[in-house]
Amino acid sequence: MPTPTGATIVQGAGGVATRAGRGGKRHAWLLLRRSFGRALRIGLVALVGAAVAAPSQEVSQRLEPTAVEVQLSAAAEPSQLAADRWAPGTLPDNWARSHPGMMGPNAWYRIAFELPPRRPGSGSWALYIPYLYDGGRFWLNGEPLASIAQTTASTHVRWERPHLIVMPDSQLRVGRNEVLLRAVLTDPGANLRLQRMTIGPSDELLPFYERRIFWVRTMPQGAIVTCLVVGAFVLFIWWRRRSEVLYGLFGLAAVLWSIRTLTFVIEQMPSPWWPWWRAVYHAATGGFIVVLALFAMRFAGVARPWLERGLAAYWLIGPVAMLASGGRLDSTVGFVWTGGMIPVGLALVGFTAWAAWKYRTGASLALMLAVALGAAAGIHDYLIAWDGAFRLPEVFAGWAAHRIFLLHHGANLLLLVMVAILTLRFVQALDAAEELNRNLESRVAARERELQARHDEIAQLEREQAAQDERQRIMQDLHDGLGSQLFTSLSRAERGALDADGLVQVLRECIADMRLAFDVAAPDRRGLRAVLGDFLFRWETLLRDAGVRLATEIALPDSLRLPPTVTMQLLRIAQEALTNALKHAAATEVRVTVRQEADGSLQLQVSDDGCGLAGASARATGRGLGNMASRAQRLGATIEVESLTRGTRIILRLSRPGDAR
Amino acid sequence: MVASVLIVEDEPEFLRRFSDAVLADPGLRLLGAVSTGAAALALLGAQAPDVMLIDLGLPDVDGVEVIRRAAQRCPQTDVIVITMFGDDGHVLSSIEAGATGYLLKDAAGDRIAASIHEARAGGSPISPSIARRVLMRFRLAPTAPPPAAHEVSPLSERETEILRLVAKGLSFETVGELLAISPHTVVAHVKKIYRKLAVHSRGEAVYEAGQMGLI
Repeated sequence: MPTPTGATIVQGAGGVATRAGRGGKRHAWLLLRRSFGRALRIGLVALVGAAVAAPSQEVSQRLEPTAVEVQLSAAAEPSQLAADRWAPGTLPDNWARSHPGMMGPNAWYRIAFELPPRRPGSGSWALYIPYLYDGGRFWLNGEPLASIAQTTASTHVRWERPHLIVMPDSQLRVGRNEVLLRAVLTDPGANLRLQRMTIGPSDELLPFYERRIFWVRTMPQGAIVTCLVVGAFVLFIWWRRRSEVLYGLFGLAAVLWSIRTLTFVIEQMPSPWWPWWRAVYHAATGGFIVVLALFAMRFAGVARPWLERGLAAYWLIGPVAMLASGGRLDSTVGFVWTGGMIPVGLALVGFTAWAAWKYRTGASLALMLAVALGAAAGIHDYLIAWDGAFRLPEVFAGWAAHRIFLLHHGANLLLLVMVAILTLRFVQALDAAEELNRNLESRVAARERELQARHDEIAQLEREQAAQDERQRIMQDLHDGLGSQLFTSLSRAERGALDADGLVQVLRECIADMRLAFDVAAPDRRGLRAVLGDFLFRWETLLRDAGVRLATEIALPDSLRLPPTVTMQLLRIAQEALTNALKHAAATEVRVTVRQEADGSLQLQVSDDGCGLAGASARATGRGLGNMASRAQRLGATIEVESLTRGTRIILRLSRPGDAR
Repeated sequence: MVASVLIVEDEPEFLRRFSDAVLADPGLRLLGAVSTGAAALALLGAQAPDVMLIDLGLPDVDGVEVIRRAAQRCPQTDVIVITMFGDDGHVLSSIEAGATGYLLKDAAGDRIAASIHEARAGGSPISPSIARRVLMRFRLAPTAPPPAAHEVSPLSERETEILRLVAKGLSFETVGELLAISPHTVVAHVKKIYRKLAVHSRGEAVYEAGQMGLI
């Protein structure tokens, strides 16, 4: 039963061959669903182990012929074959080694097998072939059986998948049967390899087929999508945070690996594209290794720009040679240039081992192990791919015939480790940021406390300074005023120069001065207006009792407060003026005016309607005026004494009361 | 009518000074001159003077306590407290206890007698700082804390106005002119204010005692 596509997927139980590329969309969907479910199941089975996957029949009926017959022929159909030109051969066969130099249009294989009497209801039989890279056609007992597309002038094929070909009961016969395979040998570089085929009940062969499908097709498909998505995502992160070079390298590696893995999925391609695709494939494979090396170096914190440039330069050689040769150097590049990546990989193993030893972190150790596994897988694959070029031990040759490539899985593991490393770094960065925030907060809080403490300290010092100033002021005041007056009076009284009236006068002045001090030093630190109020209230009683009327005019804002020393001096000057008016002027009215001008200056006026300066005791008023003048000078104020038609007026002007001391 | 005066002063010099001032005035009669709170209280128990002059710094009993007892036993007695500086907190305590006047310790003899007569005439002196303290006491000053819910100022608007003007440093005469009343009416208002302050303080003490569960 010839099939046009050759991509043969076979339903075991029913014996009905279903060909990909045929059937409606619905069919394809069902197929996809079934394939997916099966892939999952088989994947699990494959992971658990081959033993589980083995068919569960009591006695296996599988046949695995190794002795075959081979013929190099131009014949296209079995009928054109020469019956006498068959030569013995064995499977697995590597044409280039078993028939060196023999090239022709077609290589024919004849595989004979004995069909045992079949158990009733045992189902259809099938032929399982793990790979047939370049395709071919099958006949069973002379009748066409299946066709797997071959490379033509317009299409290039490379089948990575296995094939399971159902043999219709109508074509089978009990006893000897004959399968003919025609493979193409036209391409001089053709590398025809034929693994042993397995013939047996479809049910028995299906697990083998599905297992291999899982490894060579389902896994790569998943890897392509995963690597592409993860790579794009991480590259996006790197694009937003250019400093995170590791993210960029990982993203690049993942995308390169995704591209490289397309080789498992792309089975047919227009011929002109093929060299380009191979160039891309080599670039992606080599690029992955180079980027991995850069990643490991950066991860270990080693910067060697010359080494990085060297690696990049070597990486360019392969694809450039491919492109320059138009694809003719595919094999050379694959063998020589890709082979050159092996030392790079080994160096990488050494380097990551050194880094793991140096840093002794789980991440560096994991990276080292993954790189080592990857390198081993790469070498393994290289040897399998080029098994014709090396003399391999017989055991390995048998294994090589299975052509199971491992680098793909090693790379997946590597990428997983890299993801884990980046995730760890990300988490650590988040933790560090949080820790930093906490630190910062606590440092800010500590700084605040420090500032508060310093502020409190300064405030405390200021209070102490203020108290100190206050004490100083009071001491100075006592010394200059009360003290000086008491001492002078004592001296005068002792030498008899002070009579009783004089003594009373002195003591009253002392008490009055003390009252001033109390007014000014009142605990509630009242404004000038309030202090003046109490002062004048006292004087009003004194003056009234002496028959003198006190008229006051105070135009001050309530809020005006002056330094205590200034208030004190102002009140003393006023007190001196009032005393003069009371004692010496024989006045009937005294007027006190205090106001603040628009420019902020302060004016104090004390006027009386007494006998004036001329009439008063010159000595007494002279002393009083002298006192007032010296106090005004200390305040930085000006004082004027005017003689009125009747009485005297004293005007004190203080231009900047707030700054006075 | 001659006013009887009781003097309570522990310093002999001043006891003598005040006694002399009272004795010198024909309008005054010296009922007693004692130097201890106990003696004052004993005398108050027997007789009610028209005026009591009292110094707060007594050796045995707190002067404020003597004033409080006097206010209880002899509500008609005008109590004048003797003070050195006139604006200290003791004056306010005395007013709260029931005093209605105060006298500076160094006042001349004439002033002592004049103060007693003024008190008998129904007037009370008040300095700006005392006016401010009274306003604070009634929580009427701008800087005072807001009154509690149970507090309603017992002062009339006129009394409050007078206190505010005096606190600003205006003389009685000016206040009288501003309010179109005589200076005598002003000092009469002040006396009423003092009485209200005493009542208010007692009420507040009772209220606070109630709050604290004492009564």
